[in-house]
Amino acid sequence: MAVLKVTGLEKVFGEGRLAVTALKDIEFSVQQGELMALLGPSGSGKTTLLLCISLILEPSSGHIMINGQDIYKNGWTGVDIRCFRRENIGFIFQAHNLIPFLTAVENVALIMTLNGVSDKAAKKQAMELLEYLEISHRARALPGTMSGGEQQRVAIARALANQPVLILADEPTAALDTERGMKVMGLLKKIARERGTAVITVTHDHRMIAGFDTVRELNDGRFIITP
Amino acid sequence: MNLAAKDVLMHFGKFLATIMGVGLLLTIVLVMNGIYRGIVADGVWLIQNTETDLWVVENGRGGPFNEQSRLNTDVYKSVAATPGVLNAGPFITYTVQRDIAGRNQQFTVIGFDVFSGLGGPKNIVAGRDIQSAHYEAVVDMKLGVRLGEQFRLGVHDYTVVGLTKQAVDTMGNPLLYLALHDAQEVLFEQDNQTIYAAEAASLQKLLDAGYSQDQAQRLLPFFSSPKNTISAVLVKLAPSTDVSDVSGNIHDWLYLNVFTPDEEIQLMIGGRLKRIAMTIGLFRIMLVIVAIVIIALIVYVITIEKIRSIATLKLIGASNLVIMRMIFEQSITITVASFGVGCGLSHFLQMSGKFPRSLEFLPFDTLLVFGVMLLGGSIASLFAIWIALRTPPSLALGG
Repeated sequence: MAVLKVTGLEKVFGEGRLAVTALKDIEFSVQQGELMALLGPSGSGKTTLLLCISLILEPSSGHIMINGQDIYKNGWTGVDIRCFRRENIGFIFQAHNLIPFLTAVENVALIMTLNGVSDKAAKKQAMELLEYLEISHRARALPGTMSGGEQQRVAIARALANQPVLILADEPTAALDTERGMKVMGLLKKIARERGTAVITVTHDHRMIAGFDTVRELNDGRFIITP
Repeated sequence: MNLAAKDVLMHFGKFLATIMGVGLLLTIVLVMNGIYRGIVADGVWLIQNTETDLWVVENGRGGPFNEQSRLNTDVYKSVAATPGVLNAGPFITYTVQRDIAGRNQQFTVIGFDVFSGLGGPKNIVAGRDIQSAHYEAVVDMKLGVRLGEQFRLGVHDYTVVGLTKQAVDTMGNPLLYLALHDAQEVLFEQDNQTIYAAEAASLQKLLDAGYSQDQAQRLLPFFSSPKNTISAVLVKLAPSTDVSDVSGNIHDWLYLNVFTPDEEIQLMIGGRLKRIAMTIGLFRIMLVIVAIVIIALIVYVITIEKIRSIATLKLIGASNLVIMRMIFEQSITITVASFGVGCGLSHFLQMSGKFPRSLEFLPFDTLLVFGVMLLGGSIASLFAIWIALRTPPSLALGG
């Protein structure tokens, strides 16, 4: 079953003679439990595509279907889209982006409380996720006191907090050494396989490519490899 | 989960330093309120605590506090003879800088007629009123003399027979009450050298005018400066007397200015205290603006420091309300806690009694400052919220 289906996606910035086409004719789908890599040099359109799939940038044309919902054809408001994003998409960032004044368990629980789960229940579920990712021993630690690898595990736990159907990871191994990068990739694979979550990872890191089910490369706003 | 509280706890030292800094600034604002109210209270204390229905002063003058007023002592007898006047007494007031209780101090001498009792001391907390025509004094505790102690003023020694508390003149100087003639002597006494010089000058004027040496010597006493002037006459009206009738009679027949105590207070507030009030008011406004600007800058800086976290929160789906609440709560926490520090310190200064001026805190003034600060803090947080809401979620992406 396709968790994400993108058809005829085009994104143009500016108008008239100043118009710049950042993405053109983008078509692809990602299945449940699939691990997809998105490659491309700087300026190729990776971030624009990620922002479109994240539902932060509205495409100029085309369709984005996530979990069976054609996002921009439903007449949703910005609030509806934000709620949909919160419930269906998890994010992992290159710089981890944990909230520095919250402990590991609070960082994970926060996203659940945003969805209306009580503090107590959210922290219990957050602890279970930290245990799943083998980082529960650092549950009470603040991000500033954790290593990069530990922070990325907590960030992955946060991405899983609302049991999303899709995880978008923006260069999750870029700030890690090879060993820790491989461990993170192993975790993402484990999540995809065991939970059926689709994972799209933007990466420059060719060391990690072997671990992906699908690799797509962007250049000048178009896919040049579509297996 | 309260994000604002978590951030405050993590950066507790920074928040505490900020709160103490802004709190000290607010202490100055509140103390300035207290100084202003204290000046007003001091300014009218003597008027409110002098037993009189009317203040009679030199014609065309706004005395005796806002402007110097000089009357011949005997004028009080003419005032006493005015229809409707039950009693009238002479009153003199002047500020001196003399050695007393081992220190050189500024204080105000009040001279009054001990037998009519008009203009005598209030707030006597120890001892008694002046009962003798000479060499007794009632002194405010601020001067540091003890009951029964003797001190020298001019050429005589005076015994402290009573102590007052918070008895001050319009500038906050402590009061020293003497019998009228003692007070006049202290005011007009001159050293021998000055007297000889004045006599020599007068003698020369008479000789230059053609008088013989003998004639000039006999005329000299008429040239000496008057030593029996007073500042005002205090009037006690007979029951059921119309104040305006008596005032009119004194003004029209004796050519003197007459003020009721309320009019004296209005003269004081509209005259001497007006400029002080405006100066302090201006400083208060400037300090409040500075405090608000500082709070705005601090809220702005702590928001900018969290801008990536805010972008992340927006990307993971936090509502604007969550972000607004976090910023608003921090801003209000800084404002309220700073105000608490300011309020506590200013009241501590008042209670310690170490502040050199009287401090009076009125709940209205304090609440007004609190309201203005709360408004300022809210505006500051709105500015920071505006920045936060404009932050694109995409800022969370990238390294």
